[in-house]
Amino acid sequence: MSSSTEPNDRFLRVPGHELELHWRSSRHARRLLTLGVAGVFIALLARRPEFAGVAAPALLLLAAGRVQRRPARISVRVRPSATRAFEGELVALDVRAEGQGEGHVRWTLHPGADIDPGDVTAADGAQARFTFTPERWGRRQIGTMDVVLRDRWRLAEGHLTVTLPKLDCYPAPADQRTKVVLRRLPNRLGEHPARTSGEGIEFFGVREYVPGDRQRSINWPASTRRGRLQVNTFAAERSQDVVLLADATSDVGVPGSSALDLALRGAAAAARAYLEGRDRVGVITYQWGGVSWLGPGLGRRQLYRIIDSMLASDSAYARGASFRRLPRAALPPGALVVVFSPLLDQRFVEALRDMRERGFTLLVVDVLNAEPPVRWRREDRLARRIWQMEQEAIRFSLRELGVPVVHWDGVESLDLPLAAHTRRPLAARR
Amino acid sequence: MTGTAAIRGAAIRTAAIRGGAIRGGAIRGGAIRGAAVLLGAGCVVWAAVPVHSGYAGFALFLAILGVAAGALRLALAAVPEPEDNYLLPVPLRAWLKFLETLRLVPWEEGALIAILWLEVLHPARPWHTAVLGAALIGYLLATHLAESGASPEALRPQVRVLAVGAGLIALGAGAGMVPAVGAGAGSALLRLVAAGALIAAAGLVLPYVAAPGPPGSRGSGRGTPGRR
Repeated sequence: MSSSTEPNDRFLRVPGHELELHWRSSRHARRLLTLGVAGVFIALLARRPEFAGVAAPALLLLAAGRVQRRPARISVRVRPSATRAFEGELVALDVRAEGQGEGHVRWTLHPGADIDPGDVTAADGAQARFTFTPERWGRRQIGTMDVVLRDRWRLAEGHLTVTLPKLDCYPAPADQRTKVVLRRLPNRLGEHPARTSGEGIEFFGVREYVPGDRQRSINWPASTRRGRLQVNTFAAERSQDVVLLADATSDVGVPGSSALDLALRGAAAAARAYLEGRDRVGVITYQWGGVSWLGPGLGRRQLYRIIDSMLASDSAYARGASFRRLPRAALPPGALVVVFSPLLDQRFVEALRDMRERGFTLLVVDVLNAEPPVRWRREDRLARRIWQMEQEAIRFSLRELGVPVVHWDGVESLDLPLAAHTRRPLAARR
Repeated sequence: MTGTAAIRGAAIRTAAIRGGAIRGGAIRGGAIRGAAVLLGAGCVVWAAVPVHSGYAGFALFLAILGVAAGALRLALAAVPEPEDNYLLPVPLRAWLKFLETLRLVPWEEGALIAILWLEVLHPARPWHTAVLGAALIGYLLATHLAESGASPEALRPQVRVLAVGAGLIALGAGAGMVPAVGAGAGSALLRLVAAGALIAAAGLVLPYVAAPGPPGSRGSGRGTPGRR
């Protein structure tokens, strides 16, 4: 898999674990013992020495196996290539045994929940490399590794089990390239063209020349028409504050594509897209026991902080959560609030209405992709119809308040449902 | 989180390199499994012919069952068992139960006892029994190589002990052919004691014959670095 020197260098920094081996006879030894005992037994009973001869090689092999040295303990080093990974990302796991002497080592990987080990789960040799893929976000146990050390003649097997380290699996961000931009941007340098003139690169208008203007910005055609010098002006470039609001109170749907899965993937995609556009991004997670938040910040490190903050979420009944108690740092005035929610918790919807009334510009991404199961009974179908009408009413009431609600199925790019709002700046109706 | 491309690239390169090794290993593994089955079947035929009546039929059935089930276990050794076997359909559960039973029961041990039983039903034929003993050892070694996936090179350190064992088989057969010095149970017992003494003498010589070789010697079973 890799060169013989490279793994040694990598393993130098990994502490080894001295582990005790539990020795027992191998299957091969048990079969030899059966042949030996049966041969001697028949020789004695039938008084036929040739059966003692049949038993002799098996007994000799067993006796010779006792002569072999067997270590009581070996040192095992385990090194995953990463302690954090995104869903579906390939991670390598290097393992190495020391102190096994002439024994033959066999490694067998028993993956933990939501860990896909691929085709190979067993390997031979003093050191080996496995690859695996975490399938769902969360703090995952990679699994356990069974180590079998066979003696030189493979008549005895020493067994031990190593618990593999945990892996922080981040939700795989969805695909999002375009960004929703507010009409009114704070007075801070950034990359979004604002509706005021400044030092950007996007054409804004033409005005009369005043001393101090740069000569290269003179618009000669306009100057010729008007008879006075005219200069081009350009749009100022500003950044915005974006607060992602993840609703972790309800987790419905098939695991892997549930509402919470989609909310986290969508929020991760939005965080990445806005951070790449030099915007300040923060996150608020509405969850069990209240609200957790992370103030807006810049940079790639902020992306991991945001995902870490969301991973700590617990999908359960949200008790007494209120956005009114959030500090100004968590929800700065004039920020764009992008909400990822299935809109199933009525109190969460009320909180959104409350935020809207306080003047925040909201955009709701609806991640509900499941419906209650229904039998073919009239009452059941009626109940589902009522439930659907309630859901439509919730979305309608938000739209009436000036909160756009777009539906995202988790499969297509986030750019598609957001297309209507990314083409022009989003204005907050008062 | 970083280096995924490197890991994937290394995995692809390794897979390409390993492709040839896997093909070669699969051919070798198939040959060893075939050898184990043939040796087992040969032992059964060798011990059964000529077929006796009475319990011989039952012993023959047990021997065939043991060898056939052992061969099936070797053939299905690579079939994985699912980690979660809750709420599986009935046919799949039955298949998993069959696999579990196939892997749990010591089929080869049963076959060994049945083959020896078949052999003892015949009148004394020492050289015939000696050949059977050698074939049985070969059957066990081939089965061991097939189930552990090891190459025949792994048996190299045992060659001297196996040679001593072959000598003892020959001595046992010779002892069986030596005419009794006199009629009665005492004479047979004497020959048995002589055979036992030979085995014990061989056991005493064993530590010098089977001393572990220096580290890194050929066929030491040490794994290749980084091999999967």
